[in-house]
Amino acid sequence: MIKIKIDGKELEVDPKLTIIQAASQNGIEIPHFCWHPKLSISGNCRMCLVEIEKMPKLVISCATQVTDGMVIKTKSEKVVKARNAVMEFLLINHPLDCPICDEAGECKLQDYTYKYSVGSSRFQEDKIHKPKRVELGPNVMLDVERCIMCSRCIRFSEEIAHQKVLTFTERGTNVILTTFPGTRLDNPYSMNVVDICPVGALTSRDFRFKARVWEMSSTESICIGCARGCNTNVWVRNNEILRLTPRENKEVNSSWMCDEGRVNSFKFVSNENRVNGPMIRKDGIHVEVGWDEAISKVVSELRTYRKHEIAGIGSAYCTNEDNYIFSRFFKEVIGSANIGFLQHTKSGDEDDLLIRADKTPNSFGASVVGVGGENGTDGIEHIFKGIASGAIKVLYVLEDNIAANPRIAEVLSNLEILIVHSSTKNETTKRADVVLSASTFTEKYGTYTNFNGYVQCVRPAVAMIEQERAPDRMSMSRWDKFAARNDTWGKGTKRDARSSWRIIAAIASAMGGKMKYAAAEEVFKEIAEHIPAFKGLSYSKIGSHGASLKKELIKTSKL
Amino acid sequence: MSSYGKIIRKKDLSILQKTYIPEILKGLRITIRQMFRPTFTSQFPEERFKPDSSFRGRPVLVVENGVERCVACGLCARVCPALAIEVQAAETELEKERYPLKFEINMVRCIFCGFCEEVCPEEAIVMSDEYLLVFSSQEEALFGKEKLLKSTEDLKERLEFLRSHR
Amino acid sequence: MDLISILILLAKILIIMFGVLVLGAAMAVLAERRVSGFIQERLGPNRVGPCGILQPFADVAKLMMKEDIVPSKANRFIHDLAPIISISVALSTFAIIPFGNTIELFGRQIKLIIADVDIGILYLLALTSIGVYGVSLAGWSSNNKYSLLGGLRSSAQLISYELSMGLSLIGVIMICGTLRLDQIVLHQTEYFWGVIPKWNIFLQPLGFITFLIASFAETNRLPFDLPEAEPELVGGYHTEYTGMKFGLFFLAEYANVITSSAVTVTLFLGGWHLPFIEHLGLSPLVLSLLQILTFLTKVILLVLFFIIVRWTIPRFRYDQLMRIGWKVMLPIAIVNFLITGIVMLFLL
Repeated sequence: MIKIKIDGKELEVDPKLTIIQAASQNGIEIPHFCWHPKLSISGNCRMCLVEIEKMPKLVISCATQVTDGMVIKTKSEKVVKARNAVMEFLLINHPLDCPICDEAGECKLQDYTYKYSVGSSRFQEDKIHKPKRVELGPNVMLDVERCIMCSRCIRFSEEIAHQKVLTFTERGTNVILTTFPGTRLDNPYSMNVVDICPVGALTSRDFRFKARVWEMSSTESICIGCARGCNTNVWVRNNEILRLTPRENKEVNSSWMCDEGRVNSFKFVSNENRVNGPMIRKDGIHVEVGWDEAISKVVSELRTYRKHEIAGIGSAYCTNEDNYIFSRFFKEVIGSANIGFLQHTKSGDEDDLLIRADKTPNSFGASVVGVGGENGTDGIEHIFKGIASGAIKVLYVLEDNIAANPRIAEVLSNLEILIVHSSTKNETTKRADVVLSASTFTEKYGTYTNFNGYVQCVRPAVAMIEQERAPDRMSMSRWDKFAARNDTWGKGTKRDARSSWRIIAAIASAMGGKMKYAAAEEVFKEIAEHIPAFKGLSYSKIGSHGASLKKELIKTSKL
Repeated sequence: MSSYGKIIRKKDLSILQKTYIPEILKGLRITIRQMFRPTFTSQFPEERFKPDSSFRGRPVLVVENGVERCVACGLCARVCPALAIEVQAAETELEKERYPLKFEINMVRCIFCGFCEEVCPEEAIVMSDEYLLVFSSQEEALFGKEKLLKSTEDLKERLEFLRSHR
Repeated sequence: MDLISILILLAKILIIMFGVLVLGAAMAVLAERRVSGFIQERLGPNRVGPCGILQPFADVAKLMMKEDIVPSKANRFIHDLAPIISISVALSTFAIIPFGNTIELFGRQIKLIIADVDIGILYLLALTSIGVYGVSLAGWSSNNKYSLLGGLRSSAQLISYELSMGLSLIGVIMICGTLRLDQIVLHQTEYFWGVIPKWNIFLQPLGFITFLIASFAETNRLPFDLPEAEPELVGGYHTEYTGMKFGLFFLAEYANVITSSAVTVTLFLGGWHLPFIEHLGLSPLVLSLLQILTFLTKVILLVLFFIIVRWTIPRFRYDQLMRIGWKVMLPIAIVNFLITGIVMLFLL
């Protein structure tokens, strides 16, 4: 530890740090464009210039290591003047059409212009025009005019995504960001360059021009595309999810997320194919019914059969709470041990950075809370055989498209009754006798356990008929705050679905079981009391960045 | 005391004034004289008032050369104190890149403050001279693009006014 | 009383009812709106019918169709009763007003007065006192503080001004020596020195002024409309009234204006007397019609005066109102009848 002084503030810092790192760790903001904490130092934007006593010239704080006794000034007259000059240079060729630019509102250049620029330009000549609307890859669009040559995207592609495709060509003011001939920016992490681009040069083709950033509310959530569980922000306008962006969590995903998760993992939420309200098969057709009728139908069906004729398939797509209630329901209320869940692994589709072969968000948690049975996935084998032999006549499936699995699809016709929780209409719901509409990960409170035993929270980012959005960990837009019922922008679709644990608890209490919970948090409290691996965890402890399970206790866990 | 200025004491009323009668008669003279003065009423549905170019009527979108100037930046929607404006942007092949796929003003909410006009970077939304707004339902009051678009020729006076008062 | 005289009486009642209420009050409302319009350099209602003549009927039609709202904790019976008291008092005062001399029709002597009572003036004063009940009951039964205050003010105001009104009339009674209104009018048909009509206004100028001011107060018109006083009491006693019940109060106000004007005309302005007309030697029927016309003209002019005053003078403060009532009007009225008494006793 060495002592330095920034703006008159005495600090003790690690000597390995650079000035900008030391400053940001201590809450002092030094403006910067090209420096990114997760990338190598480039030092080309010159925005982070600071004055150091006894040094003849200003130095860039991103590339200067701290030394003992260093006295740094970030707001001296010299520094301010230098910043003004840098801003003026950057804005010489940068088009001033923020109204059109999609980055407006979250643009570093825009923010710094307000904060650190004099607000006028002496540039009289014509701006240099460069290519616009360049398709860099399947997911990223480039507007070269807006580029300020910070090279963050180039460094990201090389260092994090390990794909050398981006480069600068030409010289001076004519510098152009481009791909090498014959290559595209098509690595599975390409869209992260959109997030790290400090200006509107790189835009997501999926989200381009869809909404202004200030029109959306963002809620902290996680991605359910694979077992990694990357932390995300869910951006919602008119009760419709418009985009996901990664949220930093050094335990899970650093600052990144994959394109697959970003583009595809939320689309099903606002799909027209959603199950909207529970359905019962009457004379071969699905009829929408009320919750009470659907639940009493399930109860009467379950009561008709003997307990060993009933089997349940939990889900690795469901939260810990859902699976825990499901397993308690089967073991205590029905008294059946026929329980298991399906794994969804895509071997080969994985890498060292984020993407996991296990394409479900909670297979780890599902097995820990008891849906997998004590012998891992053996439960599901037992169910396969039971259905094939006709010993199992009733199957209760939690949010999982089991009919997509050819082994199950074959024997599905052996069943007499199929009860399914689902958020989306699929092959399984087509064959189901009762479909209970389940809310998705953006519509409920719950926890997921990632492949590494790391428990993370989701919270409602989208309002349902029965549930408003989470008031915690959401930044609300003006629209969402003040919308009246009759305003078009307050009229987004509200769907009729419930958290699976809530549905099962209602069925269980109708069958005489003791299951009464007001909120998912209460269910989790019970999980923390009953399952040793979860001991000591709570929603407040998980917070926005998650918490790890006690993995050493998993082997002995029993329910 | 001097800093408070002189205290002016009202003169006592004379006996005649105390009876109020001459004053009442004076008042009556004024009102009766008023009765025979010309009136200023305009017969509204038959006679239409043509507002000045400084008048803030309903907001409209300016169409220039067949295309609306609007680039759907959403600043009008952001600045609107009554949250009357809703804009949905989309991409276009034109040079301006963005255009409003949907531009909706809830005229029941609009308070005619003109902030949208003031904030607009493209001079694309201006306050017209139209003040006749009648709706029979909430839905009718939602003015979409088809009702909002107006050509530059129709808005000449207002545009000139804005330019001269920038 | 034979059947025909009953029919004639009924006809007179109908004419008065129709004339005062439907035509009179309605036209007074219209006149108020149009005159105030002209005073304020605008037109006033001119759309319904020619020159807006049908406007008051459109208003009444609207009021009829409106929902009748009674406040939840109001006394429903009294709430309904109050406007009825108001309007019936306003109308029944007209029963004793002679609107013309005796007329001869189809061989019958018909007196142009509904109730030819001996104690006409006392009846008048009694009825105006009952009129207070309409307002104060309305104020009390509405269960609303504004209404209650309006009702209270109205009672206090009417009681204060009733005194000076009654006292100012004593002079007239002393001069004419009768309480019968038709006699009082007949008394005024004479002339001083054959030139000046012997109207009571010339004999009793002080009495006339006190009576006129008191009538303003009695009719709750500006500058004495404290019971309604929109800026402070919302609507006063009729705050909680809607639909035709409100309409009745509204019509009662104008019926009161007409009645007051008629009473003033009868007592001080010679009633139906048109000076010098009797010298022209017209046939009795024409003469009677002319006299009725004269009476109507006088009343209309006085109603217009009421209206113009409303748009000229601002409202008094409550303490000013009471001060004027007790400290100015009452002494003047007393002095007036003392002087009248002295003059009659020693000079005549």
